[in-house]
Amino acid sequence: MNVGILSIIVLALALCGFVVGRNRALQSVKGDARKLHSLPVYHGQTVALFVTVPAVLMMAVWLVAQPMVIEARIVGQLGDAVAADPVASKLAMEDVSRIADGLDALQAATGLSDDEIGDMRSDLSDIRGRLAEVGVALGSEVRPEIFSMAKSLRGMQQTGATMMTALVLMLAVGGLALGILRIEGDFRARNVAESFFMWLLVAAAGVAILTTIGIVLSLFSETMRFFSVHPASDFFFGLTWNPQFRGGSDLGIIPLLWGTLYITFVAMIVAAPIGIFAAIYTAEYASPRVRSVVKPLIEVIAGIPTVVFGLFALVTVGPFLRDYFAVPFGLGTSGSSVLTAGLVIGILNIPFVSSLTDDIINAVPQSLRDGSYGLGATKSETIKKVILPAALPGIVGAVLLATSRAIGETMIVTMGAGAAAKLDLNPFEAMTTITVKIVSQLTGDLAFDSPETLVAFALGSSLFVITLGLNVFALWIVRKYREQYE
Amino acid sequence: MYDAPANKQSVDQSNQKITARNVQVFYGDKQALRDVSVDIEDRTVTAFIGPSGCGKSTFLRCLNRMNDTVAIARVEGDIRLDGEDIYHPMVDPVQLRAKVGMVFQKPNPFPKSIYDNVAYGPKIHGLTRSKSELDGIVEESLKRAALWNEVKDRLQESGTGLSGGQQQRLCIARAVATGPEVLLMDEPCSALDPIATAQVEELIDDLRQNYSVVIVTHSMQQAARVSQKTAFFHLGNLVEYGETGTIFTNPQDPRTESYITGRIG
Amino acid sequence: MTDIGSTPAELPGKAHGRSGSLLTESPMMKSRNAAEFRFRAYGLTAIVVALLTLAITLFTIVRDGTPAFFQAKLTYQVFIDAAVVDKNGTADPVEMAKVTTIGYARLLSNSLLAYLDEKGVAVEGMTDKEITDMISKDAPARLRDRVLADPSLVGQTITVKALVGGRIDGYLKGRVTRESSANDSNVTPRQLDMADRMVEAGILRSGFNWRFLTAPDASDLRPEAAGLGIALMGTLYMMMLVLIFTLPIAVAASIYLEEFAPKNWFTDLIEVNISNLAAVPSIVYGILGLAAFINFAGLPSSAPIVGALVLTLMTLPTIIIATRSAIRAVPPSIRDAALGVGASKMQTVFHHVLPLAAPGILTGTILGLASALGETGPLLLIGMVAFVTNYPASPLDGGFMDPATALPVQVYSWASRSDPAFIERSSGAIIVLLIFLVCMNIVAILLRRRFERRW
Repeated sequence: MNVGILSIIVLALALCGFVVGRNRALQSVKGDARKLHSLPVYHGQTVALFVTVPAVLMMAVWLVAQPMVIEARIVGQLGDAVAADPVASKLAMEDVSRIADGLDALQAATGLSDDEIGDMRSDLSDIRGRLAEVGVALGSEVRPEIFSMAKSLRGMQQTGATMMTALVLMLAVGGLALGILRIEGDFRARNVAESFFMWLLVAAAGVAILTTIGIVLSLFSETMRFFSVHPASDFFFGLTWNPQFRGGSDLGIIPLLWGTLYITFVAMIVAAPIGIFAAIYTAEYASPRVRSVVKPLIEVIAGIPTVVFGLFALVTVGPFLRDYFAVPFGLGTSGSSVLTAGLVIGILNIPFVSSLTDDIINAVPQSLRDGSYGLGATKSETIKKVILPAALPGIVGAVLLATSRAIGETMIVTMGAGAAAKLDLNPFEAMTTITVKIVSQLTGDLAFDSPETLVAFALGSSLFVITLGLNVFALWIVRKYREQYE
Repeated sequence: MYDAPANKQSVDQSNQKITARNVQVFYGDKQALRDVSVDIEDRTVTAFIGPSGCGKSTFLRCLNRMNDTVAIARVEGDIRLDGEDIYHPMVDPVQLRAKVGMVFQKPNPFPKSIYDNVAYGPKIHGLTRSKSELDGIVEESLKRAALWNEVKDRLQESGTGLSGGQQQRLCIARAVATGPEVLLMDEPCSALDPIATAQVEELIDDLRQNYSVVIVTHSMQQAARVSQKTAFFHLGNLVEYGETGTIFTNPQDPRTESYITGRIG
Repeated sequence: MTDIGSTPAELPGKAHGRSGSLLTESPMMKSRNAAEFRFRAYGLTAIVVALLTLAITLFTIVRDGTPAFFQAKLTYQVFIDAAVVDKNGTADPVEMAKVTTIGYARLLSNSLLAYLDEKGVAVEGMTDKEITDMISKDAPARLRDRVLADPSLVGQTITVKALVGGRIDGYLKGRVTRESSANDSNVTPRQLDMADRMVEAGILRSGFNWRFLTAPDASDLRPEAAGLGIALMGTLYMMMLVLIFTLPIAVAASIYLEEFAPKNWFTDLIEVNISNLAAVPSIVYGILGLAAFINFAGLPSSAPIVGALVLTLMTLPTIIIATRSAIRAVPPSIRDAALGVGASKMQTVFHHVLPLAAPGILTGTILGLASALGETGPLLLIGMVAFVTNYPASPLDGGFMDPATALPVQVYSWASRSDPAFIERSSGAIIVLLIFLVCMNIVAILLRRRFERRW
């Protein structure tokens, strides 16, 4: 019985439990619902929860645990020599499960009985050929011990599935019986149901923490693996980035970090002044009508997917800069460049800077403006000498948040900055960033335990630490600023 | 309680600092002020009293065109400073506000040092040519606002760190430093405790020697204590205007009388 | 007040304030007003620059992408020769399937030459191959599918609408010119002349390109056949799943944090976590998806389910933040009223607070989905950039596990191909993407307008 049908049965039982529980609750007080502690609906809910929660939990645990247990037993049967070598056992396990899948497909296609499959011998019949017929391609001839292992894997899987079905159904039915038996007029069904929902709410809130744990675990465990095959000092202080397919790569982060920071710098040179001035204009000068049109229009920029700006960089900005600036001045011949990516990221970041700055300027109390106007200051003098100094910490926070976004930006640099890791000052030169290399190292066809692939996790960890640090700092500044005027 | 000059009964034309004729103010469609006509004298403290929402603050804010900063406000009528129409299209409100300074209800020192707060006006108006000259103005202004002795040793500390009364006197010093001819004060003591209020009131009385002071106040006692002239506003109308003594002892209008005796307001 | 008492005559006040008429602008004021004007101009310039770049971006995308929605096709009669496609005359689709596209290509070519002859279109010294090369490599496969689906067509003369090659299509759209074709190994100027004559004879016509929206991706050599079908399905699957995953979790988490959470370290931890997760670069979520869902949990790569999980984790913080502010906007008086008549806290939340906050929650969710819709980087890492030509199965048949691509990823993968015809496709895909985004935003705005409450 597969998981889908089993789930449907459990849900059907829960529905029965709901109906029965509700009616039984009413019967227990002879139809006078006022004598119940809780509404009949809550009695129904409680029974349904008694049915589903243990059964579903059991199913989830079993589905996770079964493959692990079976794998351990198969590897154990392969002999100590194989079991001791993780790579060999992993390869053997892949062969075994592929043949087992093939046998499943074969059975489905030809209608062989389990006994007939059990009687098949790899040394007597052409297993590889027969499996190929049903669309399962094997790399090499099937070794007898692997084949028998595959058959025992199938056996264990079937036994496991049967046991799980039995257990889950027992739990569901048991829960149903228990739930129904507990029903009586005084039973506090609402409190039971509500405390269950309460735990669901807590669990949902916990997803945020699980995500963080997941990010940290996946980044740092793989990073540790990388550092076990590649010296950490080379990574952090290496001045060259030159991955080789055959090993012996130079994997230094410095050129990538340089490219990232250079592009971010260009981006902020564009985004910070334009964003801040745009915010000043909308917050202090624009009439309410102009403001209600201009602000959403600028925020449209933030709603456009980055890949769109990536294409814009690739097709429009890059060639424009190359043909009108780089080539005439002899500064380079590349369409992809620091300037291309930086300019476009800058455009993308304008709305972040401007909407944050706008909020912050609006948080400056009106009394300060009045004070300044009352002394005969002009608007710009008030802004420059009173509002901006008062808002400065908040604006710095906003710019830092935008900087962190620029550092983590992926698509625009992938499409507009180039792929060459260089330590260069010429902004018309193609350079590359941490994010570009994460993408290129993880989308190639490299083996998953080579340093060339694992380095992507080290790069990811570095990126995570840098942006997290910037964010925490920026959010702290902004919060301090807000408190000041609350 | 106050010493009205002997010649107050016969106001000569040259002593009039501000003349307002038929001033109307609208906020959007709502009329906040109707047909207000007042002459404000130089070197005199003039008090505007009345219940809340009567338009006294609105009128005060017309006198240095602070209402310009409110997008929906519209001012009609004729207001003249030394005979010049302050709503004339050629007039720069910035230049006007340098002549007609303002102190607000809530003390609003800039989040800067005490020194920078006071030096702000002289700096933006370019009144000084040297640092020592600026230092002089700051010191004189603080002295004038009766704050010098309290802050002279901590001029570089933030103005927001002072007590409420000190902050308000700092704001007055800030206004004085610009060298205005008229000082507008919008309920300057409403956020202050009685002791600070007494200090500020004493200061207002002293300021009268050099400036024309217009003060909006909620408190009739305060108006009686500090002003020589009083104007009573009610529901957007100027009901009565005259010598403070006359208004309080012998009001002409029944509404004034009700307000003074506490029946409305 | 001793300071005042000893005040000498030349104190501030009149002493240093400059006098003069209000009606004349002092030189000082002139320069101050000039500074004011300049400052204001900077602000205006900033806004103009921002809006101008937005306009230029959208303009170039629309200009480059609109042609993708139109496609030139050759319409002519083709004789389905039984001797080529069904040698044994069995009309059995299994037998006929042994004839490859090469046979059908011959049919198309021969018929085209014959048709040109019949219509009197001058050949002007072109070789037969030069003419028949103008037909897209995609056309034989499509004809084959059509005949296999309906074997009764064998022996008949049918009207075929065959795509022309990408260069000829580009020539009709003005992307390819005679000058550029001279240095191009894929097209000759004579073929372009021929295309002009075909247009004149009414054989070659341009029409709306439905297949751009339905067809799967095509290889590098056949840009004219490439479509968004699989990308649209993948995106649709992912958005469905993201909605199913995020909405309950976000609502539950927000209810807990806003209504039930005690003020303790655990709640603080969650709060800090959520605000920081919202700012983690999206690519990091891609790494998480690769490591956790594909390598650890063993889910298939390129599958919409993995993409959806990654996008869910990525958008959850944003949606939680929006949902919380919607819940917070419900005034406490409503809660007090419900609690006052003896409702439990849970009943209060589910009967009163949640329905009142629903429009705000929906608006936030739609905007969160819109940002997930355009996300590209993390999807690259979980393999959604793969070249997929088979449509995923329906969701009931496990289609969430089948390989697929996504709309923004398709934009990227087309943009990285060398043929400029793919840039046109890429921009066209962006137009589709932007139309979706605009629709979602309009729905969000309408929801907000319709249900906005002022408490």
